[in-house]
Amino acid sequence: MKMTPAFLIVGALMVFWASTFIIVGIPSMTMKDYPSDIWRPLSPLEREGHRLYVKNGCSYCHSLFIRVSDWDVGAERIARAGDYAGIEPAILGSERTGPDLSQEGGEHSDDWNIAHFTNPRYTTPVSLMPAWDFLTGHEIAALAAYVQALGGKDADLRQKRQHDWKRQALAAYAEGVDRNIEWLHAQVPEVWRRMPNPYPATEAALQRGKRIYQQLCINCHSPVGDGNGPAQPFLGPPPLNFTILRRHLVENRYIGGIFYYQIMNGITGTAMPYFKKHLESEKIWDLANYLAVSFVGYTDANTEPRGIDASYEGDWQNRYRPPAVNGSP
Amino acid sequence: MNGYDKSGYAKKNQTRGKQMVNLIHKPQSAALAFMVAGAVWFVVGAVYGMFSAIHLVAPEFLPHVAALVFGRERPVHINTMLYGFTGTMLIGSGLYYLPALLKTRLWSEPLAWIAFLFWNLTVLSGPVGFAFGLTQGREYNEYVWIADVSLVVAVACLIVNTALTIVHRREPQLYVSIWYFMAALLWTACNYPLGNVMWHPATGAMPGLIDSLFLWFWGHNLPGLLITPLATGAAYYVIPRVTRTPLNSHTLSLLGFWFLIALYSHIGGHHVLQSPIPNWLKTVSVVDSVSMILPVSIVVINLWLTARGFGGRVWSDPAARLVMGGIVWYIITCIQGPLQSLPFLQRVTHFNNWTVGHAHIAMLGFGGYIALGAMWHVLPLASGRPVYSRKLVNLQFGLITLGLTGFFLVLTMAGLVQGTAWHNGETVLRVLPQIAPFMVLRAALGIFILTGSLVGLFNLYMTLRPAPEPELIRRAEEAA
Repeated sequence: MKMTPAFLIVGALMVFWASTFIIVGIPSMTMKDYPSDIWRPLSPLEREGHRLYVKNGCSYCHSLFIRVSDWDVGAERIARAGDYAGIEPAILGSERTGPDLSQEGGEHSDDWNIAHFTNPRYTTPVSLMPAWDFLTGHEIAALAAYVQALGGKDADLRQKRQHDWKRQALAAYAEGVDRNIEWLHAQVPEVWRRMPNPYPATEAALQRGKRIYQQLCINCHSPVGDGNGPAQPFLGPPPLNFTILRRHLVENRYIGGIFYYQIMNGITGTAMPYFKKHLESEKIWDLANYLAVSFVGYTDANTEPRGIDASYEGDWQNRYRPPAVNGSP
Repeated sequence: MNGYDKSGYAKKNQTRGKQMVNLIHKPQSAALAFMVAGAVWFVVGAVYGMFSAIHLVAPEFLPHVAALVFGRERPVHINTMLYGFTGTMLIGSGLYYLPALLKTRLWSEPLAWIAFLFWNLTVLSGPVGFAFGLTQGREYNEYVWIADVSLVVAVACLIVNTALTIVHRREPQLYVSIWYFMAALLWTACNYPLGNVMWHPATGAMPGLIDSLFLWFWGHNLPGLLITPLATGAAYYVIPRVTRTPLNSHTLSLLGFWFLIALYSHIGGHHVLQSPIPNWLKTVSVVDSVSMILPVSIVVINLWLTARGFGGRVWSDPAARLVMGGIVWYIITCIQGPLQSLPFLQRVTHFNNWTVGHAHIAMLGFGGYIALGAMWHVLPLASGRPVYSRKLVNLQFGLITLGLTGFFLVLTMAGLVQGTAWHNGETVLRVLPQIAPFMVLRAALGIFILTGSLVGLFNLYMTLRPAPEPELIRRAEEAA
């Protein structure tokens, strides 16, 4: 076969267009852009946020589709074609240096998002995201509005839950420190409130708990656990001051189960996210022991009711004594 | 100012204008300009790559600088490396070997300069545009509409110039390098407007999920149908010249060329394999991705058989060594690529640094090595001056090889750590601290690549700067 100029040019273009017709032409003629069950149109502010998302290259670290194999935040719903109807451009993304955001709407409270965009390390100490504090307040609000709309109608449901509980959490906070904690504890199911931490608070366990605290909690609750981390000025109600829990132990004994439940599920409506996707059982109990020992000066670890000790447990004895009188500091 | 001064000034201006006119008519001047611009863009791209790498270790490095946040500097790095360094430099060498192989002159040197102007304006729109949010934000399709137009104009000028150079040839046979150079330009002229959805100037995107097909159509055709044919053409030019052997097989050249175009435009879908695009598209993209083994091994085998028995000549020539290094990266890339398109493996390799490693060996390893090798090979032929220092070319090869090999290993390991952890149910956030040591190593290795780009630019400057006669003679002797 001899390559003449005509054969080269005509041939190269013909094969190219034939091949291209299959991969671009046929989908253009057959794929329908119908909205999915969770789709809803974006508001003008959300659209503005979408432009900012595109312009600032958020898509280089965040994907916008959940796969069958995913476990992370949003993995309750596998992406469907109609989720992207009419979005221009719907950038699916190719990298997850940060989490997928396709179902991020309502996962965190609005104030958490504002603090997070101002400096991601305020809310998430290990984050690699740049601080977006050079954007105007309005732009950060638009970006937050867009992120809170990701997930469509599902996100709206989550947002509604966030806003309902936010109202109640703010009302409880307005009633003062002690009433606030009573309200918070009242939201924890009964069985958890009288559950001691079943894990011994050994030196190793406390070290593990400390590491988790530094990676996930420290910039809201602060290194001394008083709730005055750098994120605090952005958050309402502000992060909890753990040190006052000493006068709110259930029956002057129990705190482990409450910690566990609140770390696991978060406190929807406040900036406290749920951590059950990030931490599984032992890590949460270790963290709970770290909070109790470091900031309350007492842990209910391994106290009754305790059942049969796990086979690995040594003869660790809980030497922490609860406060002498219930209600005294 | 008196009249005398004024006329002197005007005269000076006139001579300067004349010099400009002479320059853009001077044979090979556009080819040299493209290669020099490529070397400059390599440094710019490497600097932005360095910033990006540092930010993945220390996100608070240079805080509050809007133009230097990861989301804005990453597209500058990538587009400058793709279009600016690899693309520009390969077009430069092509503009030299095209007329050389056709035993004629480039049809129009000024037209090539016009292409140079528009092409580089597009590349320039990256650092000056993306940094301030002027971007369409679609990966590999970021240039805004007006920059798209500028790029298409540049490609159109190059097509006209190449076609008319072919028409005015004095060598009846079209060597394989010519096919690749011509075809790369033709395909890009069709590909680029389609993938960039240029009929939607505001967003450069289609509404809805189908946009990901347009996006990755160009996203993968950019390396596949622009950089690959340009680099393959350059390798087909350099290797037989250095080994002083005839091309192994004309038939294999033909097969490699036609397989490339028949298969390549189908494989972009493997970037969105796990997304809700239609299943038949996923099947096509996986099957054709795996089939890519064919054209790639055909090209590599053809070049290796051409050089068989004369490896010493390739190894002892710094430029040819870079080209051959690029071919080795090509085969590694194109074994890895089809493998990671397999759905079973992609569950672990997608979305993480594994892919980043792959992209680097494809673009810097395959495209970049061959661009540099072809540039150093063509430079003395086009400029009439021996390369300033062969040792510095060797140093560049060493620096980039060390940097890139380490880079590839480190990123692949980091990707496996991420992918397997995610697959086991760990969240992205929890794995971030685990990849920190890899990111530190990656930034450290980036210094070698940045240094390599600087050494190259220095060597190029010293080659082309006006030099005294004795130095030119010394360099000629060293080269001989």
